[in-house]
Amino acid sequence: MKYATTYFDDVKVGDELPPLVKGPLHQIQLTRYAGASGDFNPIHQDHEFAKAAGMDDVFAHGMLSMGFVGQLVTDWAGAGNVRKLGVRFAGIVRLKDTITCRGRVLAKSGKDLVDLEIWAENQRGEKVVTGKATVAIPPRG
Amino acid sequence: MAHHINTGVIGKEFPPFVVTIERGKIKEFARAIGDDNPFFLDDRVGQASEWGDIIAPPTFMTTFREAAGDGGDFLRELGTDISRLLHGEQEFEMHRPIRPGETFVCRSKVTDVYEKTGRSGPMGFVVRETAVTDRANEIVATIRSVTVVRL
Repeated sequence: MKYATTYFDDVKVGDELPPLVKGPLHQIQLTRYAGASGDFNPIHQDHEFAKAAGMDDVFAHGMLSMGFVGQLVTDWAGAGNVRKLGVRFAGIVRLKDTITCRGRVLAKSGKDLVDLEIWAENQRGEKVVTGKATVAIPPRG
Repeated sequence: MAHHINTGVIGKEFPPFVVTIERGKIKEFARAIGDDNPFFLDDRVGQASEWGDIIAPPTFMTTFREAAGDGGDFLRELGTDISRLLHGEQEFEMHRPIRPGETFVCRSKVTDVYEKTGRSGPMGFVVRETAVTDRANEIVATIRSVTVVRL
């Protein structure tokens, strides 16, 4: 079930988050993300600009992939429960790529804090984003 | 093209800037990601929630930028241009969700600049930290980013 309520008591170290599949990515989504985020770097929009910059083609904003990973976390933990979300952009996301976001519970602490390992990979299984998140999940009752 | 990055910008503080959260921008941002979460999109769901309104997705603060600036001056100061940039790392540490109508002050500084040679040649790294505070001067979030410059 999407947006399922997760309770702190029920979370176990090693639990995996339900994967989130995004894409295949098309230019229109990069253009839409540029408008929504305010990042108008032409390297994400203009093939000629990207070629002149030494890239094969335009590629996705890293922040779009981080947005996907953020959705993975909020789908599981609840929309307002993210306390920390940090990633490294490990690889370029290209047009037509399909991105699968995954996560796993690393640790529990305090009365409601859960640390997660999070990552995203392309259709070839190459990691394009790696990172960690901390969420505050309400205890049962 | 410069072959070194200007480490003289370490410690540079940017002028503080103010952002006000717009309802439509939150929804536009969630939709651009393809995130249909009703807590980001549906006013009625938001009103009935513990926050009393819709809230922003966790990466929304990437939209916090100075409306007047295009960042070009800072890139020139670094000795590079926009075509050489890659996003290396990004982190949001958030103390609470943010809602439409809220106004925040953002204070950014350069905390580190260094060079490393990786698989694809020499790279510069620029680490920036932004403190986001609300009207009560409470810290709402800290944003850390690492920009990679292909030298």
